[in-house]
Amino acid sequence: MKIAVGQGSCGIAAGAQKVSDALKKCLEKSGISVGVTGCIGMCWLEPIVDIYDNDNTLHRLVRVSEKDSERIAEAVKTNDFSQVEKLEITDEDNSFLEKQTRIALRNCGIIDPDDINAYVDAGGYSALSKVLNNMSAEDVIEEIKISGLAGRGGAGFPTWFKWNAARQSQGQEKYLICNADEGDPGAFMDRAVIESDPHTLIEGMLIGAFAIGASHAVVYVRAEYPLAIIRLQNAIEQAKKAGFIGENILGSNFSCDFRIKAGAGAFVCGEETALIESLEGNRGMPRLKPPFPAQAGYWHKPSNINNVETFANVAWIISNGGNAFAAMGTPDSKGTKVFALTGKIKRGGLVEIPMGKTLRDVIFDIGGGIRDNKEFKAVQMGGPSGGCIPAHLLDTVIDYKELGKTGAIMGSGGMVVMDESTCMVQMAKFFLDFTAKESCGKCVHCRIGTKRMQEILTRITEGNGKDGDIELLEELCSGIKDGALCGLGQTAPNPVLTTIKYFRNEYEAHINNKKCPAKECRDLLSYEIDSEKCKGCTLCARKCPANAITGQVKSAHIINPSVCIKCGQCAAACKFGAISVK
Amino acid sequence: MNQIKITINGKVCQCDEGEYILKVAQDNGIEIPNLCNHESVAAYGACGLCTIEIIDDGNGRALPKLMRACATKAMNGYVVSYDTERTNRARKIALELLMSDHDGDCIGPCRLNCPAQTDCQKYLKQIASGDYHGAVETIKDKLPLPASIGRVCPHPCEQNCRRQYVEESLSIAQLKAYAADMDLKSDTFRAIGKPDTGKKVSIIGGGPAGLTAAYFLRLKGHSVTIYDMMPKMGGMLRYGIPAYRLPKDVLDREISEIELHGVEFINNCRIGVDITLDEIKNISDAVIAAPGAWKSMSMRVKGEELNGVIGGIDFLRPISGAETTPDLSGKKVAVCGGGNTAMDACRTAVRCGADKVYVIYRRTRNEMPAEDIEISEAIEEGVEFKFLTNPDEIIGVDGAVSQIKLQVMELGEADASGRRSPVAVEGKFEFLDVDMVIMAIGQTIEPSGFESIEKTKKGTISAEEGTFLTSIEKVFSIGDATNNGASIAIAAIGDANKCADVVDSYLSGEIKPYTAPYVSERRLSDIDFTSKEMSARIKMPVRNAEIRKKDFYEVNLGFEDDRQVRTEAARCLECGCHDYEDCKLIKYANMQEIKPLRFDGVKNTNPIEQKLIAIERNPSKCILCGLCVRICEDVAKKGILGLVGRGFTTVIKPEFNNDDIVSVCKNCKKCFEACPTGALKLI
Repeated sequence: MKIAVGQGSCGIAAGAQKVSDALKKCLEKSGISVGVTGCIGMCWLEPIVDIYDNDNTLHRLVRVSEKDSERIAEAVKTNDFSQVEKLEITDEDNSFLEKQTRIALRNCGIIDPDDINAYVDAGGYSALSKVLNNMSAEDVIEEIKISGLAGRGGAGFPTWFKWNAARQSQGQEKYLICNADEGDPGAFMDRAVIESDPHTLIEGMLIGAFAIGASHAVVYVRAEYPLAIIRLQNAIEQAKKAGFIGENILGSNFSCDFRIKAGAGAFVCGEETALIESLEGNRGMPRLKPPFPAQAGYWHKPSNINNVETFANVAWIISNGGNAFAAMGTPDSKGTKVFALTGKIKRGGLVEIPMGKTLRDVIFDIGGGIRDNKEFKAVQMGGPSGGCIPAHLLDTVIDYKELGKTGAIMGSGGMVVMDESTCMVQMAKFFLDFTAKESCGKCVHCRIGTKRMQEILTRITEGNGKDGDIELLEELCSGIKDGALCGLGQTAPNPVLTTIKYFRNEYEAHINNKKCPAKECRDLLSYEIDSEKCKGCTLCARKCPANAITGQVKSAHIINPSVCIKCGQCAAACKFGAISVK
Repeated sequence: MNQIKITINGKVCQCDEGEYILKVAQDNGIEIPNLCNHESVAAYGACGLCTIEIIDDGNGRALPKLMRACATKAMNGYVVSYDTERTNRARKIALELLMSDHDGDCIGPCRLNCPAQTDCQKYLKQIASGDYHGAVETIKDKLPLPASIGRVCPHPCEQNCRRQYVEESLSIAQLKAYAADMDLKSDTFRAIGKPDTGKKVSIIGGGPAGLTAAYFLRLKGHSVTIYDMMPKMGGMLRYGIPAYRLPKDVLDREISEIELHGVEFINNCRIGVDITLDEIKNISDAVIAAPGAWKSMSMRVKGEELNGVIGGIDFLRPISGAETTPDLSGKKVAVCGGGNTAMDACRTAVRCGADKVYVIYRRTRNEMPAEDIEISEAIEEGVEFKFLTNPDEIIGVDGAVSQIKLQVMELGEADASGRRSPVAVEGKFEFLDVDMVIMAIGQTIEPSGFESIEKTKKGTISAEEGTFLTSIEKVFSIGDATNNGASIAIAAIGDANKCADVVDSYLSGEIKPYTAPYVSERRLSDIDFTSKEMSARIKMPVRNAEIRKKDFYEVNLGFEDDRQVRTEAARCLECGCHDYEDCKLIKYANMQEIKPLRFDGVKNTNPIEQKLIAIERNPSKCILCGLCVRICEDVAKKGILGLVGRGFTTVIKPEFNNDDIVSVCKNCKKCFEACPTGALKLI
């Protein structure tokens, strides 16, 4: 009998800690311990309790609350799970996992992240051992080359090429850096990996450090991930004790120290040169490239920077061979990719699938489609640097090139699903608000350009759009793409460009007709009461916070548009469907 | 280092391999625009102006991305261009964005609104320090008649002076006249002209336009002759403006200064009568026609042919020119019009002894184009204003004027100019008994002698914008005679100094049209000046109305003393930027046509700070190139300044916002020297 409560940040937020505490209390005397796992990636089912019964059959109980703890304890004690049958995951929900192929997430939600033995039992550190005993650095790089692994942080640059460049770079002292400054709104792949399986990252990084000849490894984690920092720090300590980190690792000539640097909250530090500046204690602002970090990076020493998910694939590739990884995917994009599926989706969470599946596979087959029976409208890929992909391109294959053709990008894995009630101008404005705020202020195009774009989008959503604003935005976008210093600025126009490309008519409706087709832009809405349907119940008038509704009892009411603040409370309150919004 | 060759905009440059392209360009005398680069610190890449395209990477391939010349290393065989359509577009947007967030005045509103772009701020500063010769040198860079213009100019500079947001605008025109008077008294400033070019320019008309063009072209070394139909030079300044506003000896002195530079004057010479335009053209390398507008416009009412009806300028000409005063005693005079000519005419009529002088104007005092002080002084001198009346008919007895019939008007809707237009009150008339009617509703060109030149619909000479060229080869035209017609003297002078440059370029083989420079302007109002201490404008003392109305001596008595003048000049707020002449930002902003207004939005405005020893920092003019920060850190080894905040509101401040840290400043001024804009200023 084995019990574990999923306790990633997400599970804890849903109440997993309380469930765990309550279970412990109920099982105190029985001598059965309650363990911890990380996040399995099924956000809509949290908190989740996994129980392996005496026959080692898994009972996955979902949406568990403290109140369920006694019944669960009873089931555990008696090994009779019929009494918690209702809590067991349904086949439909379970298909979310079954349809995935997990490599980077292979241990997430399964093993105890705070126990190195759990990782070792799952085959952990065998890849490192294989590398140190049987492989040269060149062999490792060759294996990674065969695998076709590309940078999972967004740019998709071949990992072997970066490693090789850093390896070839002159210099005694080299650095291997992990970029765990996951900042895209709606992205949480990296957090899940660190919180749920920190040793996977450590092992991948150690192999990378060996390959490039680095003796220092640094993980740059955003400070907003406190649990990830705690678990990673704990894992580092354990790995040190076990001899995986430090001098002459596993008796080899390879030595590598390991440390964490917590970021200070700037999104731009996810850009590799800004990350290096921040590591050095400077203001997080991008440096000019060239020189590339492989030539002169951290402390101007050869450095290699990869994202968490990239490293999370490395041990698997070494253990299973590059060919096994390359067997998955498309000619251009190999292996699997993790996505954080969020938004107006039925089943949101972490999805890892082989490249080559379609967006439809992810959103409809795995994610179960749109909530509340609404129409799918678009999906934003790659966060503020990415773009939206509309419904008619749902069959686009997940592949760096194919996604690029749509104007969006693979990105780091953020996938925000939008339905018919999302205004695409608002959506673009949301991301521009974000990039304008997160611009470091160094280069002109990004600092002032994103601000001006944001101002133009704001006036469009407020009904003050001018003829020519779309063209002005397009011109500004192309200027910023060409002129901005780093990736943040160069990609900031993408949400605007793709929404204009696919939803130009929505922009035009805002500008020319002062209407928001999705009925999201408050300044462009007007509420009206249908005098035929209104029964004069006075409910709307009583609900209205602005006293904009007048009328006698049992006679049709009217809304004074000059007073109405368009909060929508009246329409929500009306029992007769008499209030419409236009 | 390997020596390699790269090509920048067609020029082959030899350099060390790996040298930055911006440096290679600089070493080879090619200027690729840049703001954030400086030889003493590492490349930074913020401004985005040095964008280049690598058309050929030495292997026949073009690189897809735009590069920054400051950070791109030269490789053998590179073919680089910094002015392709794409680089220019990126640079244009960078400049437009920078200017859209630039809250500074390149030049003050005084100079900006002066048609001749006289550098008021500079000469006011010189006057405030008592340097009158220096002030005149500054003024004469744009206008050679400061004592005269200072007296008569309706001063658009003062109308736009920001000091009015504090209490009242500066007395700019009169300060100019004072400085010029002082200058004329001793050691008169004389510009040094260039050596003779052997080119000959003929100018038709010796008014403010012709005299100014002559002065500047002469200084450029050309031989200049002015032909004028009147006995003396000066044009309308002499024959239109009465002596009580502009004493003729002042005008004579200033004109003689121009003559001293070697300009040839030919008077009493009328085009088409004494000499033809063709004849002048044949003996000249260039001709400037500046004949002015000497014909009074008709009011198109019945009775204009009667004895006693006269045009304003026709009335003023003999009196102003010859200082012979007709005796109007016992006469009643009606002056029609609301401009400065009408004021000159009515006040002259008073001085000629007229019993009663009326001014007939169809709107109210608020709408009068004449200067307010002129109206007040006319009223003091006994002129009666008949507002909201319009001449309908001049009634005569025995062929001479006896009465004027006035249509009563009222104000209607505002017209395009914002003035409310007068509308006739149907059937309502007034009658005045008068002996003389002076029509001062405007002047136009007398076209005889200029028949061969193409005219505008208004009948004025058509001169091309920017080049001043007419339809006739090598004939230019400026001033009241052209395009929109008669305006104020300083406008004609503005035409003339621009035209002098154009003609000079034409004479040297390649005509360079004038284009108005792009400048940054702040939009301010009185709320921006609430903290400014008040200091009242010093009133110009004038002669008593009862006395002055009997003679033609100057009305203004002049400032009391030097101290008063310097106090008045020191009221200047110094709106214009100290760095305008050296500012790299504005230089590049003028290299291509930019339209920052399309990106109009919020501007960063942060208070001016004086924390460093001798350097004032104005964050509103800062472009965040980071040079001061980097130079203080890497060159001065102090590290006093740093970037604070993020995104659009990023600002440069003493590190950690710490006031004490600035005591570390050793006043090396290296930051000031490197600043590409006027954000840093020596105190």
